Amino acid sequence: MEFSFIEVIRRILAESGFAAFANEPRNLIMIVIACVLLYMGIGKKFEPLLLVPIAFGILMANFPLTGILDEGGLFKYFYFGVEHAIYPSIIFLGIGAMTDFGPLIARPSSLLLGAAAQFGIFTAFLLALALGFPAAVAAAIGVIGGADGPTAILTASKLAPAYLPAIAIAAYSYMALIPMIQPPLMRLLTTENERKIKMEQLRTVSKAEKIIFPIAVAIFVILLIPDTAPLIGMLMLGNLFRECGVTDRLSDTAQNALCNIVTIFLGLSVGCKAVAETFLTWDTIKIIILGLLAFMLSTCGGLLLGKVMCKLTGGKINPLIGSAGVSAVPMAARVSQMEGQKANPSNFLLMHAMGPNVAGVIGSAVAAGFMIKVFGL
Amino acid sequence: MGITELSGLESLLVALSGIVTVFMMLAVLCLMIPVISKTVASIEGKKSAPVPAPAAPAPAPAAPAPSASGGTYTGEVALIGCDEKTAAMVMAIVSYETGIPLDQLIFHKIKAL
Repeated sequence: MEFSFIEVIRRILAESGFAAFANEPRNLIMIVIACVLLYMGIGKKFEPLLLVPIAFGILMANFPLTGILDEGGLFKYFYFGVEHAIYPSIIFLGIGAMTDFGPLIARPSSLLLGAAAQFGIFTAFLLALALGFPAAVAAAIGVIGGADGPTAILTASKLAPAYLPAIAIAAYSYMALIPMIQPPLMRLLTTENERKIKMEQLRTVSKAEKIIFPIAVAIFVILLIPDTAPLIGMLMLGNLFRECGVTDRLSDTAQNALCNIVTIFLGLSVGCKAVAETFLTWDTIKIIILGLLAFMLSTCGGLLLGKVMCKLTGGKINPLIGSAGVSAVPMAARVSQMEGQKANPSNFLLMHAMGPNVAGVIGSAVAAGFMIKVFGL
Repeated sequence: MGITELSGLESLLVALSGIVTVFMMLAVLCLMIPVISKTVASIEGKKSAPVPAPAAPAPAPAAPAPSASGGTYTGEVALIGCDEKTAAMVMAIVSYETGIPLDQLIFHKIKAL
């Protein structure tokens, strides 16, 4: 056998991923998209903890000839956690361990604001149907309006697995863009005087109330809508770890190590499904637009109920806290705080907005459970 | 098996029943929270209720209690040849040395020697 250096180089190049781009040039577009998302995550700090692994997952999935998505490939196993709703549920465990339900318990009416801010889910569902999406896919798209990444992923994995990457990317992108999307709507739907309203200090919530709350919510909500069990169950378990006072180590693990590990797997798994042939379609563009509308309508729903509650309480509730009813904890509450302080520098709405904010997490899980109940197989 | 095809009216009904379900669920939680809070408050109230007084009368205190409600004594302290700052320091030192909290000590007069 005669060795030819040129021939070896030629064969290496011919069998490389570079040569394979000729068969599927759209992969190059996906790689550019991945790089843009990486820039948004790293350079602009848009939800970097999720956007960076998602973007890198997209990058990896669109390298030709790796076999990483095939049977026996690494991402095939990672994706198992998404397919079976394992990752979103564990993320909810972490969210529960990080969340203080005190402001919600101190002002239970916050729950209604959390419910009103799910309005976008159902209107986006109708819009998606009008655009020709199948009912189950429309339901999964609508859940983007809940502004809750794990819930959107869980619903999409059950109702519209083929659309999961587009839905997840839309959900997380809009969550990152909350400080840009919500303030114009807040200023449009509220008056200067309403934004200036200072709210009374919340009462102190006892430790026993905080311990009983997650147990009672889990019992009631899961018994009524069993499809919410993975999300509500884990959310409440995480919160019980936090509040009961005897599981500090578990609470710490759920909040930090476990949540971080699962975030890596979740991000990579979502990203790895964004391959050119399924992602670069008109449907993706429609989902991105519908997601934005869902998000805006949810914000409007919360604000409008906030205005109603403001009137009913004789001006004791600042309607700005209504927009925090979209989940996105705690960014939506921070936006309410910032807008309130712009109108009145001595206004501190953060703790008041945390009530609707955490109520939104429960509300979007209930809405997702409803969609899965109606459209799930 | 879930629904796969929907007419316009059915779609509206699904959306409406969805938002109503979310509202009802959270409204029930909204009603449930005050019940939990009141129950907890009543249980904690019972637990923290004072233990019944012993049958034998307690010996009379050497000095009158600061106030019936446990608040601070509001009477005047006569300062003789001593300014307020020094008096405050003396009170703090006496409280520290005797181990008696300031709200249980009564000073009638502080006089410079």
